[in-house]
Amino acid sequence: MTRLRTMVAFFRKDLLEEMSYRTAFVMQIGGILLTVSLWYLIAGFLKPPEGALPEFPGVPYFAYVLVGIAFSHYLWSALSSFATKLRGEQLTGTLEAMLMTPTPIPLIILSSALWDFFMTSVRVVLYLALGACFGLQLRFDSLVAFFIILLLTILAFSGIGILSAAFILYLKRGDPINFLISSASALFGGVFIPAQTLPHHLGELGRLLPITYALSGIRKSLLSGTRLQDLLPEIFALMVFVALLVPLGMAGFTLAVRKARQEGSLAQY
Amino acid sequence: MSAPIEISHLSRLFKPRRSLGQLLTRSRPRAETWALRDVSLEVPEGAIFGLLGSNGAGKTTLLKILSCLILPTGGTVRVGGHDLQRNNGAIQRALGFVSSDERSFYWRLTGRQNLRFFGSLYQLYGKALSDRIAYLLDRLELGEQADKPFGDYSSGMKQRLAMARALLHDPPILLLDEPTRSLDPISAKHLRRFIAEELNGREKKTLFLATHNLQEAEQLCHRVVVLSKGRVLGEGSVEDLPPWGKGQEAYVLVVSGLNEIPTSLKNGITWTSLTGGRLRAAGEFGRDGEKLSLLLAEVLRLGGRVVSCSKVEPTLQEVFDRIEEEVP
Repeated sequence: MTRLRTMVAFFRKDLLEEMSYRTAFVMQIGGILLTVSLWYLIAGFLKPPEGALPEFPGVPYFAYVLVGIAFSHYLWSALSSFATKLRGEQLTGTLEAMLMTPTPIPLIILSSALWDFFMTSVRVVLYLALGACFGLQLRFDSLVAFFIILLLTILAFSGIGILSAAFILYLKRGDPINFLISSASALFGGVFIPAQTLPHHLGELGRLLPITYALSGIRKSLLSGTRLQDLLPEIFALMVFVALLVPLGMAGFTLAVRKARQEGSLAQY
Repeated sequence: MSAPIEISHLSRLFKPRRSLGQLLTRSRPRAETWALRDVSLEVPEGAIFGLLGSNGAGKTTLLKILSCLILPTGGTVRVGGHDLQRNNGAIQRALGFVSSDERSFYWRLTGRQNLRFFGSLYQLYGKALSDRIAYLLDRLELGEQADKPFGDYSSGMKQRLAMARALLHDPPILLLDEPTRSLDPISAKHLRRFIAEELNGREKKTLFLATHNLQEAEQLCHRVVVLSKGRVLGEGSVEDLPPWGKGQEAYVLVVSGLNEIPTSLKNGITWTSLTGGRLRAAGEFGRDGEKLSLLLAEVLRLGGRVVSCSKVEPTLQEVFDRIEEEVP
């Protein structure tokens, strides 16, 4: 219970800080509107041939790419928010003040990213709502499956994000995880085009990335209304990623904290 | 009963990490530095215990080890009866830390919002936290400014808010890292009075105070330990400080006709150039005036003119510079 209240305190603090930057919030909404409009025009201009989206027959490319872009924000958010928050707190000197309290470090890190995940969810809803104005049609008959996949997606991406934060904590700059995962996910994860359509079987690399299963499951549930039992392969794959990545992220972070304490560089930047 | 802070043979070695460039060129990293070497001390319950030392003496490293931010290389540390290697959480509950770093708050949040957030990190919530914050804000005379953004606070208000944060969980031990460093004399005086009368006198808290300021140590501390280059040089009351602190005297000379300080004037004297042709000389001059007379004669011999000469208090830095010259 105390952990939950601590998490709420982090959320409240970030909300209050964000509210003091009102212009930035308005500009974010403007940016989303621009992205949705741009992809509506690009999708209309490109008109992919029949069968270009083999797993989603009858689904327009605009719907495919918009859902891909919207939900990939969870990955970008996980990759950046843990590390960015940590670095921000190092720079403002507040990390040291937090680390002097009895609050466990993993709880500080997890709680720091709550606000970013909340804002990502707001962004995703805005993407879908604006997309609906441009003709995006969503199916709501498989919402349970959708929320299970979404939860597993956030957890799997958080594992990578925490590992990324561990690099920032120890190396201060030059986080290789963020660069590798974000580039590979954009290329092979099926955000913009189906991985199967990439040349020379490059799409097979997408099987190693959680975003592939996350976007596949989310698109199937929201665009095709696929039932829970037919989404079990995606759910199972995401569970494997969660089981691997969350402990790996936590272990990496614990190791980074120990090394930083030994070196005396915990709050340095 | 054990002392609130017990430190035995504590050492801390900083090993610089090799950069990628150094690894590729196989060049050596910077030299290792002993920040603390074989430091042993006990802070008695209810005492204001001073930690004196010049820049780089190891004061902040010692405070950061006590607050669990840095691991020691060797030795043992017990705070509030808890072993540092085993029970960080209990130590952090027993300690409050007041630093002079203004950056450690959220500048766009109000003082009250900042305290509410940090209070939750000590597992304080709801009405109990609100009441505690209101009480501390009142005690530290911040009640009227509590709902203004932290960024609008003066240095004195920021320092008082740092004090309020350290007291949120009502710890029996407080670590104070140069708490009056950025304050004007009046604010510093008020804060010192609060430390002596309220925290130590009324609430009987044990205070471990790192400072540069000899007068501050004299006013506040029951006992002091002097650190130099990571080693303890001496421990006792301020009056009991070894004679190297006592023989020090400083003079401000206004001299014309000298562009630089000749080597012949540097014999055991630390010289600092001040503005307007003024020079500050610190060292052991003796009580009979002979060394000062010789110094002034040398200035005249070198073609300089002594416009004025006045005796001033040596700074702690000058005292420590002298000590460090003598310490092997």
